[in-house]
Amino acid sequence: MKKNGVKMIKINSKNVDVFYGKKQALFNINLDIEENQVTALIGPSGCGKSTFLRCLNRMNDVIDICRVKGQIIINDFDINDKSCDVVRLREKIGMVFQKPNPFPKTIYENISYGPTIHGMAQSKNEMDEIVETSLKKAALWEEVKDRLHEPGTGLSGGQQQRLCIARAISVKPEVILMDEPCSALDPIATAQIEELIDELKKDHTIIIVTHSMAQAARVSQNTGFFHLGELIEHGSTDKIFKNPENKKTQDYITGRFG
Amino acid sequence: MFTFIVLLGFTSYYFGRRKAYTIQSTNKRLTALPQFYGYYLAIWCAIPAFIIFSLWAIFEPTIVKLLILSDYSNQGYLDDELNLIYEKTKALSRGQFTGEITPFIEASAEKYLSLRSIAQSSKAVIVLSIIIASVAYAYKKISSNSRTREPVEKFLKAVLFTASLAAILTTVGIVFSLIFQTIDFFKVIPLFDFVFGTHWYPAKAFVRDSSEALDPTMYSDTFGAVPIFAGTFFIAFIAMCVAIPIGLMSGIYLAEYASVKVRQYAKPLIEILAGIPTVVYGFFAALTVGPFLKEIGNSMGLDVSAESALAAGGVMGIMIIPFISSLSDDVITSVPQSLRDGSYAMGATKSETIKKVIFPAALPGIVGSILLGVSRAIGETMIVVMASGLAANLTLNPLESTSTITAQIVVILIGDQAFGDPKTQAAFALGMSLFLVTLCLNIVALRVVKKYREKYE
Repeated sequence: MKKNGVKMIKINSKNVDVFYGKKQALFNINLDIEENQVTALIGPSGCGKSTFLRCLNRMNDVIDICRVKGQIIINDFDINDKSCDVVRLREKIGMVFQKPNPFPKTIYENISYGPTIHGMAQSKNEMDEIVETSLKKAALWEEVKDRLHEPGTGLSGGQQQRLCIARAISVKPEVILMDEPCSALDPIATAQIEELIDELKKDHTIIIVTHSMAQAARVSQNTGFFHLGELIEHGSTDKIFKNPENKKTQDYITGRFG
Repeated sequence: MFTFIVLLGFTSYYFGRRKAYTIQSTNKRLTALPQFYGYYLAIWCAIPAFIIFSLWAIFEPTIVKLLILSDYSNQGYLDDELNLIYEKTKALSRGQFTGEITPFIEASAEKYLSLRSIAQSSKAVIVLSIIIASVAYAYKKISSNSRTREPVEKFLKAVLFTASLAAILTTVGIVFSLIFQTIDFFKVIPLFDFVFGTHWYPAKAFVRDSSEALDPTMYSDTFGAVPIFAGTFFIAFIAMCVAIPIGLMSGIYLAEYASVKVRQYAKPLIEILAGIPTVVYGFFAALTVGPFLKEIGNSMGLDVSAESALAAGGVMGIMIIPFISSLSDDVITSVPQSLRDGSYAMGATKSETIKKVIFPAALPGIVGSILLGVSRAIGETMIVVMASGLAANLTLNPLESTSTITAQIVVILIGDQAFGDPKTQAAFALGMSLFLVTLCLNIVALRVVKKYREKYE
């Protein structure tokens, strides 16, 4: 979304370094993420794109040996600051994982999980409404509305992933992080998810890690290319794919390595 | 003799392998690795030896007995008397006979000894000649294209099968011995009295003379198993009240909160508890915990028996903690990390994640571990024998003494017992019911655990 022709920056990261134990995984990353746009992070395996994604909602906290340095500013607030409340942060920044990971609960409970934790619904009716809107937004409502109280693990892979997206948007996050959301899905399910991503960017800022350059080209407006823990190049998807500045980017895009 | 056969086995292995190498050196390709040829020959040595030895063990005594007793035939002895004569002969030949020695028996003993020595030497000759013959046959048979790998593999499979069969057959045998004695018991004591009677006092069945022995009225109100079943479940309940919360919480701590280093040391330490012999737990309960509880109770004005259900159950609970903590730690750890990530990413805290995602996901496995703990508690013997008393009170007061199925079996079977006595058979009936209860619990537990496993595949 543009305001007076100026793009709004949602996330602003400055000099981000990440270490796993003694090994440095990310080197001095400076990347701005535009609001209500889809930003794709591409690069060969092990280049640090998923690590960077996990910095944005502090999921790296879960890993004992992981240390993050630098500033990541979201809504004028450094999320690496000690005063940052991780629970509130993750309410604002949802995440969808590589492998669909619905909880072994019913479809309804999968969606109501987040709103319950954050106390977003005062009554059963409100909760029903949240569940319905989330499922509708995730384009899953029609398929599951008659079996909301059956286990979410009984759905197909693509449905499970859309369930996870519905779960993520149930708490109305501002940003949705997607870590290779289609890598475990077939082409049809992938197409559905990609369509969904396009829909979702109206209300959410989306950052997607992907191995498929075609997917990055299809869904994203901006692209960042990572290599060996460094951000080599970033800019509009058009420019990165048609007219990359860096030799490495060009090689990767054209499939010469990685 | 046995050593010699083993040596022969090794020798034939060596020869087999050497022949294989010889064949190989003439540039022929072998169908199997050389050592298979060796194994093949060794098996040809072992199987005939084994068969002859077992046949010998089965038939030798019968044949010798027949030969000895043939001297006594046509003299009008009864079968029992003949058996006695044979036993006397055997005892005399071993120099253990203490009674009156008649010339007849002396002669028989000499004959017995000579027969035995003939049997021994003929056995040696036959075994050796057959082994050598079979090995020689096999040795001649093997050539570059003979199959040696398959028979060796088949032989190994048969050995392994026999081993597992032995375990299963033992179980079946135990069950049958229980069943027959139990049926005999219920011929004297009506099933109804056993299952619903509320008085357990087997000592009463002992105070009788032989004329009363078969009088069923004698046993009424003697073998009512309700008090000891109640006692068993009561003590198991107390044990689980201790073991479930502590075991579960320590399991959750180990799986979710403990750092790698703490877990590395804490888990084996907790498992040490499982390695303490139950008899040690038993005297810990009887001599330390029991008197301690009694003292505390007395100071509060409560009447606490020194052998209280509480002491036994409590200590039993401690014994079961490692089971539950270790098993639940395992099932919690096996909940996929992706579920944790999903929950954290929604903004859930650690305790919320554990309570709402991990615990429900691991619940079937946890229930399985608890059921295994319960069946362990019900079958536990030493602690209750030592710490909970032997009087079968029907009570729900944890401060009084009660008794359990296992403890009663011990009481009944300690010392000399007459077979066919209802009191002895009562132990079998109790054992049978105990077996049924734990069997059911184990089946349910395994089912639950299996169901859980399928969930994440």
